[in-house]
Amino acid sequence: MRTLFTFSRLQAATLAAFLITAGGLLAQQVAAPTPENTSPPRGEDVGNYNFSQTFEFGYRFKSVGGDEGMYRSVDNYGNGLRLLGSNLSINSKDGHGTYFDEILLNTIGLGNDNYQAAILRIQKNNVYRYDMTWRLNAYYNPGLTTAGGAHLEDTIRRIQDHNLLLLPQSKIRFNLGYSRNTEDGPALSTAQEFDTNGSAYPVFTNVKRQWNEYRLGADLDLSGFKLTILRRWDFFKDDTPASSAGIFAAGTPTDATVLQQFQRSQPVHGSSPGWLGNLFTRRKHWGINSRITYVSGRNDFALDESAAGISSFGTVGSRQITVGGEAKRPDLAGDFTVSLFPTDNLTLSNTSSVTSNRIDGNSSYSEINPTTNLGTTIYFQYLGILTLTNSTDVDYRVKKWLGFYGGYHYSDRHIRTIDGSDVPAFANSFGAFQFDVSNHVNSGTFGVRIRPISPLTINLDGEVARAYHPLTPISDKNYHAINGRIQYRLRKVQLSTSYRQVYNLNPPLSFSNFSSHSRQYSANASYAPLNWFSIDASYTKIHLDTFDGLTFFAALPGNRNTLTHASSEYISNIHAANLGVRWAFGRRADLYLGYTITKDTGDGRAVQVPPSVTDPLQVLLVSVQTFPLTYQSPLARVSIKITPKIRWNAAYQFYGYGEQFHILGYDQNYHAHTGYTSILWSF
Amino acid sequence: MARAGAHALLLILLLTVAHAQSQNASPPAASPPANAGGYVGSEACKTCHANIWTPFFKNPHYKSIASGKEPPERTGCEGCHGPAKAHVEARGGKTTIPHAFSLMEPKQVLADCLTCHARDLSRANIQRSEHTIRDVACTSCHSVHHSPTPKYLLAAKQNELCYKCHATVRAQFDMPSKHRVNEGFMQCSDCHNPHGALPSTWSMGQRPRMVEQALGNEEPCLKCHVDKRGPFVFEHPSVRVEGCEACHNPHGSMNAKLLRRPVVFTVCLECHNGGGEGTRQGGVDLQTSRHNLLDPKFQRCTTCHVRIHGSNADQFFLR
Repeated sequence: MRTLFTFSRLQAATLAAFLITAGGLLAQQVAAPTPENTSPPRGEDVGNYNFSQTFEFGYRFKSVGGDEGMYRSVDNYGNGLRLLGSNLSINSKDGHGTYFDEILLNTIGLGNDNYQAAILRIQKNNVYRYDMTWRLNAYYNPGLTTAGGAHLEDTIRRIQDHNLLLLPQSKIRFNLGYSRNTEDGPALSTAQEFDTNGSAYPVFTNVKRQWNEYRLGADLDLSGFKLTILRRWDFFKDDTPASSAGIFAAGTPTDATVLQQFQRSQPVHGSSPGWLGNLFTRRKHWGINSRITYVSGRNDFALDESAAGISSFGTVGSRQITVGGEAKRPDLAGDFTVSLFPTDNLTLSNTSSVTSNRIDGNSSYSEINPTTNLGTTIYFQYLGILTLTNSTDVDYRVKKWLGFYGGYHYSDRHIRTIDGSDVPAFANSFGAFQFDVSNHVNSGTFGVRIRPISPLTINLDGEVARAYHPLTPISDKNYHAINGRIQYRLRKVQLSTSYRQVYNLNPPLSFSNFSSHSRQYSANASYAPLNWFSIDASYTKIHLDTFDGLTFFAALPGNRNTLTHASSEYISNIHAANLGVRWAFGRRADLYLGYTITKDTGDGRAVQVPPSVTDPLQVLLVSVQTFPLTYQSPLARVSIKITPKIRWNAAYQFYGYGEQFHILGYDQNYHAHTGYTSILWSF
Repeated sequence: MARAGAHALLLILLLTVAHAQSQNASPPAASPPANAGGYVGSEACKTCHANIWTPFFKNPHYKSIASGKEPPERTGCEGCHGPAKAHVEARGGKTTIPHAFSLMEPKQVLADCLTCHARDLSRANIQRSEHTIRDVACTSCHSVHHSPTPKYLLAAKQNELCYKCHATVRAQFDMPSKHRVNEGFMQCSDCHNPHGALPSTWSMGQRPRMVEQALGNEEPCLKCHVDKRGPFVFEHPSVRVEGCEACHNPHGSMNAKLLRRPVVFTVCLECHNGGGEGTRQGGVDLQTSRHNLLDPKFQRCTTCHVRIHGSNADQFFLR
């Protein structure tokens, strides 16, 4: 850090002035892999090919104080040796390689990082292009918010995608693809047994999920029209079992439940074959783009669950549940856009789209327990969503420096639900209930685009909308949005600032009306006056306050459970800032200093619940109105050139997470010292 | 029958590739000859612009030269910058370049690039994308000659590029609960199409406007979170109808699990209060009268309602 203060007064003054201009704020990136390169990667020529390659191999370290579970959920960098990054490129020098003209391979984190990725491209001009992406994320979450820690996850997700394009430069192209997504690992969940109002007990699950997709398609260019046809098949299976080996008791005076044995098997296997067709063209005065897709999703499932123990009343509790059935979802979506360009300055476009999503399923549910044999119940469910939208947009460029744009958008959505059930053991037990709901949204937008001088762009626009019969209380209803953005871009300096507000204002006509105010301010600056110095800074403020009515049942001590109306307020004031400064010392060394802070100041209160609030219900509601916390991470990294092809790198990054109030009842705060040292070798 | 058809299609593919391969044994790359249109060929350009020409064989646009079949107006330097005769005769100068991108209006830049790049499905909607309307041209994000990224000729690493304008999004990815974009596990383009997306197939179809749905007409979230795709016998209507954003902030949140509130019961009860239209015309269902919100176990709804995204076995998402 001493290096920071060894600059000349002029440089220091420049830096200080810039910091003040930019808001005096700070910047950030993840410490590794090291972005600095060794000498210009001209590579080595071997025959008709040029090779360039770099490897960054090193050791990560971490030291965590406080809640390590939360650290693993948020940051999750571990200890050990890693191939922190690698880059390989092989290019034919004349574009006529025998089997390929280009190979690109880039990796990060291979070896042991919790975030790993590799991308590969191999192509031969005019013949083929193959792209592969592989990613791994080791995900840990203690699930405190959702289930008090009883929903822990410690899984690994692996995602891969392969795409082979044949004849990439010809007028007819063929496309083959394969994607795979798996999630495996131990997790904790919960099961509620014997009493639907009783406690939930922890159960162990071994997550096993797999999804595979195969694609086959073709693109055709004909007379200026581009036609795409894609056929895809995907297959999903979830074979996650759940079991409990321990004995768990509710442990409350009113609940004697003890879960002694539990096992659940719940396989789901499904597929979603589909078609996609797209036709588009653009001519001098008009263009069209039309798309249609159809997907036929289906899931077959079964469930076998057995539990034994003591019920909430102290009697023997046991039950066995078996479920089987299928769920189907035929899904159709189509869009048609017509664009007109009557003059060079005017663009008119109209888009119509339709989405039809129909989900129906049946489930045969059988439950056996010692007190009542509930027999089999067959459930039928249907959810149909039909959405029609139409939007007309106009873009008019009055002058080179001035343009206007606007539009009118209309959406109509019809939702139909059918709930049905039948108990075959009882005659005439079949019942079905159908409900139909229609929602509409009308919205209008208007904006102006100004470029008074070439590097300066100003965009101002607004949107006003009315939604009739929105689905949920929190859906947009009577809302407007205002956006403003100013950008100034030159080669060495880029400045931008923006403002956005979205107000969903609904008068408190009823106890359940929802209103929200969202305001976002941001400023961003990048300045690279010299090739050995650059600075990047940004500041954002995100404000949100919402007001909603709540209706629930609550029983104060000694009272009955009664319907209660109350209000829910939530206030968030997030200040986020970044600063990154890079110095290059000759051609020998690079230093990067960065800092990120994200701080929610909430509504400014000093204590979670003011002492004046004593009513238990108000204490609960007031305690969750705001969630002030600070999350920050300073970073320092140095990279030193040892030889023209070898660099030594080292970095330190601190993570600090601090909640002001422990509204979940837990102290999740932590601080972590992390870093790495590595060798970057290129040839 | 279907299998025979697939085999026949595969055979056609292989034969086509073989044919293309045999045709590809073409003469070495050569710049097209100068012609009456003022084209001088890339050989002339490299005389002065050696720094651009020397590594240009690594550039995807080198294909136009390697092909040897493209007309002059689609070949090499002049394929993008236009005929260079006047520029050569003037012995340089930006103003003598017919298509000097740094001097061109965003609309002109887009038109030039789309001359070749309009054929891809991902750019089918670029004319009415939010970026195009706001004068964000191709060269705002792509650097043809000095790209530091291995693919797509981006002017910077993808997330840094997007953050230059979307500082608010950057702030969201710096929050404690976030998708792993800064860590390199994900990219902005996993969910967004910066070239313009079609109307969304969820919510009311109007917003968000730059989110690219998955091939199954779904929110892009479900490309990774495949266990939440369903279909389920018992759907949670708000998930299917309004989308994941009803409960989650997709970029990042100060709250765990990307939730919009720090605790679960306010997430649930702000909808389940009898308000809105619901799917039964009577507002979204209230919670059961057997729940006492003052009992801590009823404050963590998903402890029991474990299948909150949808269930095949229980209408209340208990299993």
